[in-house]
Amino acid sequence: MQVHRLVWAAMALLVVTATACGQNRLQSSSTTQPITVGLITPLSPPGDVASGQLIQRGAELGVEYVNSQLHGVLGGRKLQLAVEDSAGKNDQGVNDYRLLVTEKKAVAVTGFFHSSVNIAVNEVAHQIGVPTISTQGSAADITAKHYPETFRTHVIDPIRVSAWLQWIQERGFKRVAMVAETTDYGVGLVDETQRQARAKGLDIAFDAEMFDHSATDLTPQLLKVKAFDPDLLINIGVGTPMDLIVDQAREVGLYPQVPMLVSYDGPVRPQWWQLHPQDGNGVYFIAYYSPREPLSNAGQWLARRYQERYHEPPVYSSLSAFGDVLVIAEAIQRANSADPRKITAALASGSFSSWTKATVSFPNAPGAYYHTWSPPVLILHYTQPNQDWQHAELIETYSRKT
Amino acid sequence: MWLAVSPGLLAQFTLAGLMMGVLYALMALGITFIYGVMKTINWAMGEFYMIGSFVQYLIVSHLLGPDLWWLALPATAASVFVLGMLVQRLLLRPMFVGGVERRDEYATVITIALLLLLRSLAAVINGPYQHTPGSHLPDVTLGPLSVPGAEVAAAVVGVLVLGLFFLLLHRTWPGLALRAAAQNRIGVQTAGVDLLRLDMVAFGIGVSLAAVAGGLLAPVYLVYPTNGAVATTKGFEIIVIGGLGSIWGALVGGLLLGLAEALGSALIAPAYQNAYGFLLLILLLLIRPIGLFGERARVV
Repeated sequence: MQVHRLVWAAMALLVVTATACGQNRLQSSSTTQPITVGLITPLSPPGDVASGQLIQRGAELGVEYVNSQLHGVLGGRKLQLAVEDSAGKNDQGVNDYRLLVTEKKAVAVTGFFHSSVNIAVNEVAHQIGVPTISTQGSAADITAKHYPETFRTHVIDPIRVSAWLQWIQERGFKRVAMVAETTDYGVGLVDETQRQARAKGLDIAFDAEMFDHSATDLTPQLLKVKAFDPDLLINIGVGTPMDLIVDQAREVGLYPQVPMLVSYDGPVRPQWWQLHPQDGNGVYFIAYYSPREPLSNAGQWLARRYQERYHEPPVYSSLSAFGDVLVIAEAIQRANSADPRKITAALASGSFSSWTKATVSFPNAPGAYYHTWSPPVLILHYTQPNQDWQHAELIETYSRKT
Repeated sequence: MWLAVSPGLLAQFTLAGLMMGVLYALMALGITFIYGVMKTINWAMGEFYMIGSFVQYLIVSHLLGPDLWWLALPATAASVFVLGMLVQRLLLRPMFVGGVERRDEYATVITIALLLLLRSLAAVINGPYQHTPGSHLPDVTLGPLSVPGAEVAAAVVGVLVLGLFFLLLHRTWPGLALRAAAQNRIGVQTAGVDLLRLDMVAFGIGVSLAAVAGGLLAPVYLVYPTNGAVATTKGFEIIVIGGLGSIWGALVGGLLLGLAEALGSALIAPAYQNAYGFLLLILLLLIRPIGLFGERARVV
């Protein structure tokens, strides 16, 4: 009987010891294994592949910066990036998010470019609780629903529109034509422009011609604009359509006779002058960064490393994605945990360093301003052919007015 | 909104539509020609358009310069012709020699996979960039209308290429063999023609027509990995309008689509430019389901 008791006791001790060892090993591995940050961005059509690739570059360098310069997070754990391609499709973006948070254990997800994908993913993020940061989505609904898990580090429509309406008033334009794609982005900007102009009682006549994002022949829209006889043309195309509007507006005799404002920083891309050797000069464009603005130490590191690796200076898409990874890393550090809910709380309450010297924070503000940090909106102007965008004339800097 | 356009503007829309129609026809001709001979649809046609635009861009920008763009065009067509023959030999020929039961499904799967492969490869190799071979052609004034030189050149060369294609088809022995294969594949084989080789040539010619369209439009619509997507959609719209397998159908369908889009944009609203082609297509399907020049199937 005593022998039996001894055997049982020994076995119990063995089980307890084995369990404890197993737990130790689990704890040990969970405190040393890398922490995953998810990246959902368009890397295949019909998404804007060019932007997706630029975002991916920035995010990869963000992870490299955190691991090499900050020695990881939470006492030395490495950060790793899990990249998924949304192809600009809502359903694919949602599947990507589920895969990232369930299979790859991502603690936060960033990299979003297409607003509609971001909006769709946020619905699932609100259920699952792993936070998202919008890298370049500008539609109001990304944050306007006030889901605690959703954040944004990009300019929203009202800020962009407010900036160009102010510039339009300063320049005294009276007949403004907008050629816009029928996406959340294009329709949102047209509506917001007309809404703000009405609200401000501006005496400006608007003409809006819409086109499908996949269209390549925009001559019909531009001929209609020409018949409207505008004194300013706002180009609200993204990616290829933006370039097509520039070329085809020249071909129909509209531009450069009528000045053109491009709605985002497309003209800073390296191929601008290759695509528009003559008609690229004279264009005005919205940007979110100018080299005349000081970069943070991390931003300067990125600029050097990016130049080394890609032999060109970084543009805003890469800077913004780089900054988002840094913000997530700092939030993990502040939360002292890789638990997504604690990271969400840290994001909502803290202020963070990023690529710019300005401090990033996500205020509990009304409407689309909720959890949104916006870089300043700049209007730049090319004044000579083949001008480096870094030397483009800075017309004005518009900061958000709260 | 209706008819609220001046006659001058309407003329400009019509001219733009006709010029675009010629290039649409070139694209559709490739699809319908391959279908006519091989009885299979090449869903990756737009990707050969894309490759044609890239080859044209590379030759013009790195070798010849924009003034000699016309010299690059035969090289573009020839290189894509060879590529097309290789693709046919490696990917499509097995279904004709391997006793594949459902050739249509096989060809659909293979060419859709090819579409994804070529598009993804181009995105990886090209990176996040768009290109243009550039053009030094001055604008052309036609009466009161000013038309971009590159578009006029594209339309004129497009007409020439269509003429050459018809000559090849109606005045040469290979053309005769191709027409015969389109009528009766077994009959051609019994007459001693190497049908497998003929298929290779037909596929090569078909995709090189798309490549020529891509090369001609490279300075107008830019060069990037997904630029063939629209061309594919329009091409298939046209072959349904004109009748699957009909050469004349592709030609007339292309012009009709170009005109429908242009006039719809002028008279109604340019925002629905892509919808006008589909409206025309639906209308035709209701009136004549086999397309303008399609032939009814004869089943015994």
